Amino acid sequence: MLESLLDKFRGGDRQALSRLLSMASRGEVPDSLLDQLAKPTQQSLVVAITGSGGVGKSTLIGRLIPIIRKENQGVAVLACDPKSPLTGGALLGDRFRMPALPEDDGVFIRSLAAAPGQASLAANLPAMIQLLKAFGFSVVVIETVGAGQGDTAVRSLADIVVLLLQPETGDDLQWEKAGLLEVADLVVIHKADLPGAEGTEARVRDILGLSAGKKAKVLRVSSKPGQGIPELWQTIQATSSH
Amino acid sequence: MQNERRDVSKMDNRQPIRVVLAKVGLDGHDRGIKVVARALRDAGMEVIYAGLWQTPEAAVRTVADEDADWLGLSLLSGAHMTLVPRVVELMRKAKLDHVGILVGGIIPEEDIPKLVQMGVARVFGPGTSMAEIVTFLRDKSKKSGAVRA
Repeated sequence: MLESLLDKFRGGDRQALSRLLSMASRGEVPDSLLDQLAKPTQQSLVVAITGSGGVGKSTLIGRLIPIIRKENQGVAVLACDPKSPLTGGALLGDRFRMPALPEDDGVFIRSLAAAPGQASLAANLPAMIQLLKAFGFSVVVIETVGAGQGDTAVRSLADIVVLLLQPETGDDLQWEKAGLLEVADLVVIHKADLPGAEGTEARVRDILGLSAGKKAKVLRVSSKPGQGIPELWQTIQATSSH
Repeated sequence: MQNERRDVSKMDNRQPIRVVLAKVGLDGHDRGIKVVARALRDAGMEVIYAGLWQTPEAAVRTVADEDADWLGLSLLSGAHMTLVPRVVELMRKAKLDHVGILVGGIIPEEDIPKLVQMGVARVFGPGTSMAEIVTFLRDKSKKSGAVRA
């Protein structure tokens, strides 16, 4: 059954991709099979979007999708939401905030439930990323569960980690703390139409200026009026090519 | 409905039933579908909430890409005899015959057999208890093998 699915997958059958992703999410696609898949012909980019719950990760990804599509790049999203520690159930509500583009085969969105204690990520993401790349999606976006300060595991999955913050979160001591801010390549002050965005940006810039080595860029973006989105995509591409 | 508490450690290899919930068309009443979403979540299912103002095409694309076991449609606008057949047809075209379709909302009694005839698994009207929906999904999913436990 796996073999016939892989044949269909190689032939570009989207339903085979969908089924294989489910199997991969359960750890049922062995690495040896994944390695047999064709290597992506074009360059690919894995972008992680992280930040606390309600900061606007899904909305921002929804805004980025049309911009990525304008460049004729295929984009797949793996959107994680939390699984209940009590019942194992989940309400996966990320794609609700992303545009429904059923006529566009260049967009694929899969919602995933992340078990508690898994650092804000669903299980077996590397296999799923590999499948999406092999299918021809040149951009894979991973949306974490609303992430806490210590949820740094996303670093090892992505070429670039984008951390979303919103105005009026944290004083300057808050940004001195170790953790998520350290693994971000790019910090977005999201909801920048709200008061306090400049102040938050200034504090984050101050702190990042003190860190040794590569310094994360800071951008102000506002998804509601749609400001700074093309600039964000340009910066993501420029940052990841270094 | 009482929350069922299960031993999470024994749940790791269970494959939860995946349900896409969507409102197709222009009706903006989403209270009922959100109550159902919450109940199915609390029953241990994975609910993909597609929300308001979905086209039939968008709902079917969501089911396909999410590899869902069920599609639940909520209609309170009176457009069910136009929109549901369209969804059913698109599901067939997309080779999603293994996915069960549920309809909820305000559906006149005389339309229910017509919807079932065209391939809807069940119509849940006002006053349906959440337990009834959960039980139906669990029973039917076992039969169709959709609970991949």
